[in-house]
Amino acid sequence: MLLELNHIFKWVSQGGSRVFLLKDINLQVEEGEFISIMGPSGSGKSTLLNVIGMLDGFQEGEYNFLEESVHAMKEKNRSKLYKEYIGFVFQAYHLIDELTVYENIETPLLYKNVKSSERKALVADMLDRFNIVGKKDLFPSQLSGGQQQLVGIARALIAKPKLILADEPTGNLNSKQSEEIMQLFKELNKEGVTIIQATHSELNAAYGSRTIHLLDGGRNNI
Amino acid sequence: MIRNYFKIAWRNLKKKKLYTAIHILGLFAGISFAILITVFIWQELQVNNKLKNAGQQYILTSQWKNPNMGADFTTLGPLAESLKDNYPQLVTNYYRWDGITSVIANGNTNFREGIQLGDESLLKMYGFNLLHGNAEKAFNNPFSVVIKAEKALKFFGKTDVVGEALTIQNFEGENHEFTITGVLNEISENSVSQFFEKEDNGFFIAKNSGSFFDRAKFQDWESRIFVSFVELQPGKTAKDLEIPIQKLINTHTSEEIKQNLQIVPVKLTDYYLEKDNGTVKRLLYTLAFIGLFIILMAIINFINISISHSGSRIREIGIRKVLGGRRKQLIIQFLSESIILTTIATLMACIGYSLFRPWFGELIGKELISFSQLPAYFLLIPILLIAFVGILSGLYPAVILSSYKSIDALNRKLKNSFGSENLRKALLGFQYITALIVLIAAVIVGQQVNYFFGKGLGYEKESVVTAAVPRDWTPEGVQKMKTIRDNFEKIPSVESVSLSYEIPNSNNGFQITSFKAGEKPEMAITAQGFVADEAYLETYKILLLAGENLQADESNANNVVINKKAVEAYGFKNVNEAIGQQLNILGEDEPLTVIGVFDDFHFESMQQQIKPQVMFNVNANAIYRYFSFKLKPNAVNKSLTEIDKQWQVLMPGTSFEYKFMDETLANLYTREIRFKKAANTSTLLALLIALLGIFGMVALSIDKRLKEIAIRKVLGASVKNIGYLFVKEFLIILGISIFIACPLGYWLMQSWLDNYAYRITIGLNPFITAIFLIGSCTVILILLQTLKIAISNPVNSLRAE
Repeated sequence: MLLELNHIFKWVSQGGSRVFLLKDINLQVEEGEFISIMGPSGSGKSTLLNVIGMLDGFQEGEYNFLEESVHAMKEKNRSKLYKEYIGFVFQAYHLIDELTVYENIETPLLYKNVKSSERKALVADMLDRFNIVGKKDLFPSQLSGGQQQLVGIARALIAKPKLILADEPTGNLNSKQSEEIMQLFKELNKEGVTIIQATHSELNAAYGSRTIHLLDGGRNNI
Repeated sequence: MIRNYFKIAWRNLKKKKLYTAIHILGLFAGISFAILITVFIWQELQVNNKLKNAGQQYILTSQWKNPNMGADFTTLGPLAESLKDNYPQLVTNYYRWDGITSVIANGNTNFREGIQLGDESLLKMYGFNLLHGNAEKAFNNPFSVVIKAEKALKFFGKTDVVGEALTIQNFEGENHEFTITGVLNEISENSVSQFFEKEDNGFFIAKNSGSFFDRAKFQDWESRIFVSFVELQPGKTAKDLEIPIQKLINTHTSEEIKQNLQIVPVKLTDYYLEKDNGTVKRLLYTLAFIGLFIILMAIINFINISISHSGSRIREIGIRKVLGGRRKQLIIQFLSESIILTTIATLMACIGYSLFRPWFGELIGKELISFSQLPAYFLLIPILLIAFVGILSGLYPAVILSSYKSIDALNRKLKNSFGSENLRKALLGFQYITALIVLIAAVIVGQQVNYFFGKGLGYEKESVVTAAVPRDWTPEGVQKMKTIRDNFEKIPSVESVSLSYEIPNSNNGFQITSFKAGEKPEMAITAQGFVADEAYLETYKILLLAGENLQADESNANNVVINKKAVEAYGFKNVNEAIGQQLNILGEDEPLTVIGVFDDFHFESMQQQIKPQVMFNVNANAIYRYFSFKLKPNAVNKSLTEIDKQWQVLMPGTSFEYKFMDETLANLYTREIRFKKAANTSTLLALLIALLGIFGMVALSIDKRLKEIAIRKVLGASVKNIGYLFVKEFLIILGISIFIACPLGYWLMQSWLDNYAYRITIGLNPFITAIFLIGSCTVILILLQTLKIAISNPVNSLRAE
């Protein structure tokens, strides 16, 4: 098993009462799955992804990732863990505007202290695989949305993660670009990468092997 | 990895040109100033350190119970010599000199020059090198002179002038040839060969030629005019001299000296910094303090602007964190940016050094040495500055920025930044306070300096020029001068001419200790003695309050006029009562008779109280130095040419080297004028940096409230409303700063003004000026930035995400 959430609760206090963002979430994810999380705006899709990605904490419950108890971990170890195993893809791409395509993809390797020669090889490989070698010296603002998301995915993959978390990855794209991106996810999944995506679109959800419906942060409906 | 940080930092800086420029400009201003001040302080600390055995060199200073009894930098003639003769185990060497001014000529070229008439030990004792000539034999023969290289150039146009002759005049007006036996090499600054900052002596004559000048009183224990230096044996200190000096004074001197004089040997390496109540030292402290403040302001600016600008960085920070960047790595990244900026600013400042050097040199009245002349370890200063300023200014923003939670950062929630807002407001307040105080100070210093030159002088300085005249201190000499004076007076554009020993430049000839006839000698007061002619009061437009003026044909040397201050000091009830009264001089039989009283005027700088003054008639006391010309105001240049022409005819062989009274005054107030310039410069810098800081803060405010502005506009707010929104925010900080700065500035400046016996009263003006200037600058800066936003279409801001 890749990860397991048991009775996860997350809330914020507002005027003395608790507003639940996540309420008693239980989820088990096996390696190689492709899961789509669906639900209306505000149902907690992003929050759940952030919790899974260890970017955000929770108040109650257990979270085990590769047999390790994330809820009991220190910040430093947690960040080490997600750095090693998790890649993120965002709706707004979140590329660093000041860096070129090449450098954006390279950044996670820098933070993992990968040697220069090895970095070069890995990035070159990734550029080749996504067919964006010709664009490697361009800045994000010079690319179309679809191309930017392609770079975003390449960046998520560069560190060879076991799990990719994608928060509305096609939310800012047109339907043709969306299809290409989803196709790409499907291929990645075939190659063995576990993917969890949050989406509004039934069409995109259909690419996954399993769909989870969230209703207002409440109990998930599996 | 490091290379990567620098690459990214560089690119970031390049992209945000405006902010980079502001950062660099602020740091550049601060660092340039810091480097200039550091070099200046270092240079001042080097004075006297290059002398041979610098650690053992002392000057004998005198502390008189009554400061009018003698100067503190001179002492009794034979003291230094006797110390060496009687205590050779203590003192290895000595050098004394007496400063005189006379006309020196090479053929037709002649100038009035300062001459140092002193012991033969000069060259060997301090290890002064000669450019030309033999240091061992330079003073072997009488009528030898050693000159500074610059003087050789002035008189001969070259430095290789050993063996050439110069004609030097004595006080009786006789000329004698002196042979140049040495040309001094450039000597680093010291208190032996350049005792005074201005008018330093360029000619060194040994005492074996002293009889020519009739001043060779090196053996006279009552003579108090010798600057005296001694070199102590290794291991001996000033303390070891105490008893020997006391013994010598007790054996040789008069009762008056014994009771009033205390000799204080001061180490030469300290002397320069400590003299005149530690003026130099205080200046160094003040400058160091100003430098520190300016650089602190620059750092604060950097911090403020960096954090202010973090809005645009916040997403990047979020991404980097999500991608696995640890906090430490982010901190390093931000630090590398600040270090790059500081490096650029420092390099610019180093280049700027040679540009600012002459200007700063003028400001502080001393030439700064060029970069290449600085010792190698000065390279450390830029490096240290880069490390210090770079880290200090980068650390806080780095820590704050990197502390944002990744998710919040990604979603551009700037919640955390509100916590540090108060700190930033406090920092801005600090800048406001500094700028206000500096500005208030500058205005007050300016007012006080103007006061020095204003109406309060007690005499009229306009269109008055003075010129030194050749000496012939005999009754015949005086008559000759008076004839010449009358000739000058016939020039139509000359209003009046006066012959006198003193001009209002704080140097008077002698002190006179006397008391009202009929009182006890213990009541004696010390007054400044002047010698002048009957035209003096007229020429300087000094009022005669009672009695009569000095008489043109006076034969009685003891008929004097005194000033109002003296009337009070001697104990007369009023000015009229003093007329015809007698004054007894201590130790003399002949009394003085007061024939007139003139109004007080500022003979010395306004730092000093006006002292009692007794003016003797030059007609019966044959000493004089100057002609003072009062010119008709609309024909100044014409009259100067006229006078020059006449001068050549009347006094051939001397030149008309004149000085306007304004220049003489400026010399008197050199320090204050410098201080005024320094205050103005600091104001400019402080203002510049503070305004850059405000600019940055406004930018942050706008950045954060972009959406708010848009919504307000949609709801109908006018451009004015929106401008006011921001102005209000800053005026509150300014208001609080004013409350702190005004009393602080008042207190600081009052304590500065307390140094002056005559001073302005601090009015509201400086405060209003400072507040108005800074307030309006702030408002303009804010409006410039907000207008752009306020005019733009609100939809653009609302649409974002």
